[in-house]
Amino acid sequence: MNEKEIAFIGKITAGVTHEVNNVLASIREISGLLSDILSITSAETFPRKEKFEASIQKIQNQEKRGVKLINQLNKFAHLPDVSSTEIDLNELIEHLIYLTERFGRIKNIELHTQPSGQSVKVITNPFYLQMALFNCLEYFLKNLKAGGKVFINPVNNKTECLINIFAEGEFTDSSDLFNETVSNELTIVNEIGKYSGAVIEYDKLKLNIKLKLPLEK
Amino acid sequence: MNDISVLIVDDEEELAAVIAERLEFRGIKAQTALDGETALRIIESDPPNIVLLDLMMPGMSGLEILKKINSFKLNIPIILLTGYGSKEMTLEGMNLGAFDYIMKPCDFDVLVTKIQEALED
Repeated sequence: MNEKEIAFIGKITAGVTHEVNNVLASIREISGLLSDILSITSAETFPRKEKFEASIQKIQNQEKRGVKLINQLNKFAHLPDVSSTEIDLNELIEHLIYLTERFGRIKNIELHTQPSGQSVKVITNPFYLQMALFNCLEYFLKNLKAGGKVFINPVNNKTECLINIFAEGEFTDSSDLFNETVSNELTIVNEIGKYSGAVIEYDKLKLNIKLKLPLEK
Repeated sequence: MNDISVLIVDDEEELAAVIAERLEFRGIKAQTALDGETALRIIESDPPNIVLLDLMMPGMSGLEILKKINSFKLNIPIILLTGYGSKEMTLEGMNLGAFDYIMKPCDFDVLVTKIQEALED
């Protein structure tokens, strides 16, 4: 996909998130109004008041979930806005995990990150870095058995910035694991990695992938 | 709060109407305007105590409406309703003298508190 095509998808998605945000704002106020009205009724005059209150609470919880998702989707849609910018890796990875949690849940695999104690800032292409990380994640999801865990941890070691992606659990077939010549996902990671300035290393013994990025000067 | 009147300017008709209804529920008089022209007409003829102003609107933008309200010199506090991608507009709005801003979807209690603060200011 070229940059114009990516920007097109980003723009349309961002536009829709604005609209969905307004829908969620309306749902919040409408359910709030119902709560207001219920608050001045008594259980005697309003049969099943408790049931109504509980249902309104469920609507409000779902609305909050929707707001959180749409916020993240809006952020994601704006990733292609710039080809190079300063990124806080802690934030970028948390963002990715939030958006991809569902992929793990379907396979009963947990996704985790342990943010670095300090902010880890790099200048790179956020869209391609996110895409490279997603492909690493997909690689582990494809090869891990249910019950496993995938970790994406940023590390700051003064001279370079590292993203360490590894898994805990049993792999389905370890014979060709981390063989980049036979894995389509890893080929993609290599390709995309170039656009984000990342150097990618695979460690067959430790079963991990490292994305090395130059630190912001 | 009975003698307070709020004008909600937002092109999202249902959202504006429900916010108005909730404010009425708390004893605050509220009316709505779905566009800049209507809002300015209301402000000129029957100035409210406070204006809740959506920034992203078709036609006259929130910032244009804010500038026009300022030109009336009525000293009406304005609370901006902001959404995605309106960070710069919000900053500009605050520089133009808006009292405060609140991100949509807003916490209604926070909104009411901001209205009270604006009146006390």
